[in-house]
Amino acid sequence: MNTRLFSSAALILFLLAGISCKTPYQSQSLQYKGYRISNTQQQDSAVLVFLKPYSDSVNSSMNAVVGITETSLEKKQPEATLGNFMVDAFLIMSREKYNTEVDVAFVNFGGIRLTQLPAGSVTRGKIFELMPFDNLLILQKVKGSVLQQLLDLTAYGGGWPMAGLTMQIKDKKAVNVMIGGKPIDPDRVYTIANSDFIANGGDNADMLRPIPQITNGYLMRDAIFDYISKLKSQGKNITATIENRVTNAQ
Amino acid sequence: MLSRKKFIRQAALSAGALMAGPSIMEAAGYLTPLKLTILHTNDTHSRLEPFPMDGGRNQGLGGVAGRARLINQIRKEEEHVLLFDAGDIFQGTPYFNIYKGEPEIKAMTSLGYDACTIGNHDFDAGMENLAMQLTSHANFPMLVCNYDFAGTPMEYKTQPYKIFKKGQLKIGVFGAGIEGKGLIPDNLFGATKYLDPVQKANEVAYELKKFKYCDMIICLSHLGNQYKGSDKVSDEVLAKQSEHIDLIIGGHTHTFLDAPVIYKNKKGNDVVVNQVGFAGIILGRLDFEFSKFSGQKLAKSHTISVSQKSGG
Repeated sequence: MNTRLFSSAALILFLLAGISCKTPYQSQSLQYKGYRISNTQQQDSAVLVFLKPYSDSVNSSMNAVVGITETSLEKKQPEATLGNFMVDAFLIMSREKYNTEVDVAFVNFGGIRLTQLPAGSVTRGKIFELMPFDNLLILQKVKGSVLQQLLDLTAYGGGWPMAGLTMQIKDKKAVNVMIGGKPIDPDRVYTIANSDFIANGGDNADMLRPIPQITNGYLMRDAIFDYISKLKSQGKNITATIENRVTNAQ
Repeated sequence: MLSRKKFIRQAALSAGALMAGPSIMEAAGYLTPLKLTILHTNDTHSRLEPFPMDGGRNQGLGGVAGRARLINQIRKEEEHVLLFDAGDIFQGTPYFNIYKGEPEIKAMTSLGYDACTIGNHDFDAGMENLAMQLTSHANFPMLVCNYDFAGTPMEYKTQPYKIFKKGQLKIGVFGAGIEGKGLIPDNLFGATKYLDPVQKANEVAYELKKFKYCDMIICLSHLGNQYKGSDKVSDEVLAKQSEHIDLIIGGHTHTFLDAPVIYKNKKGNDVVVNQVGFAGIILGRLDFEFSKFSGQKLAKSHTISVSQKSGG
């Protein structure tokens, strides 16, 4: 029998064998590739042309060097250098800008928006990348018992950067909390420097929602800029070390 | 002059063609597999230029101009390409502080994105701003099925899903957004209602499968890859609790997966989940091959082969 005729007949039989128009296609094989995009590969010239007016403007205002880091600062939990640098800035600048004693400053771990501040020159743009939000640095007066709830929340989340206190994380709770060298007192009122984002219940800090916020409109990002300037005026570069402020209990 | 034998053969072929009719195209589905290439990003976070050459871990990586060139090259090589983003387009570089998302959305239009979903940081300059940037500069839809924007500036600015036709393939794509509480400040999330993403995703996927006859259903998700030790909804949770989703392109957790992860859904079928970190450092590429199957419903399963990471 003619093979072509045979194959046609076979095809017809196949089609008559009850295949509906609505038989869906099914994916069976999948190949994956992740391309690493970099500035060493060819760039699309039309996109570069479109971007240029924007990048010229951004770079002219953002490439100014505001300070120097001696070592690369890193973002890690439970404690690392980049977070310590930020909360040191918040503690020192909140005391200065609100002209009052502040016991504790902290920032949510997710609020650190760079994974690393590389050693060397720090541009204005880098600080915008570190703290891109227009979050305010506000003060709240909280009882030790409420502060303990907040610290438990930070412990549950793996640890947030802290200035002015030390604590350990045990079973996802904050233990051995020391403020100004003394164990936390549930009845004492502490002044904390915080972002309006967290004070408004961000990262599920619901215990802070009812507590009034003292604010003068000072941006957290400006606190970082001012802290860098302050260090510079003292002849210092940007530094931070791990000081066992927040550790995992063994 | 036709020989008798040849005449019979011709007649048989014509009859066959008539009988088969529109099914000729159907038959092709059994014989030649269809290819679909899906490209994707997530959490690009206003990283329009590559990371600066400052000695940092990511120096020189990312950038829309390099991504555009690579995408154009892939489009030249492949017939059926779709390009998606899983949200958090905004916030992270001074471009956003200064221009509020205009160059980000313009760049996505220029790169030919087919759709995106909404991330929590896309609210950062307000819903009015997002609505304005999309209306003025986007020629692609923002998809989300579980935010009810009624009475907000984002009303009618998003759609739950879109169906793409690529050759013989019908691909249904929808979006899923993360819970705003604790993540998006109240003044930015406004009167937006967050609806259960698993329930809404299953409803939309069912509609796309049963009433729109989609061959493939893709979820663009900003739920996050997985949350260990928590029952918070994630791509993993959605995949396991779904019935009709084939692929979840994820975001939010900035997870760099070396290869897509496969979960089994409620019916024992494969759900492919992928995420490519953040900042446009990686462009993900998924090449699917489709064919038709009749009769017995086979459990959907995939073999994934992974190519080495490389530049374009």
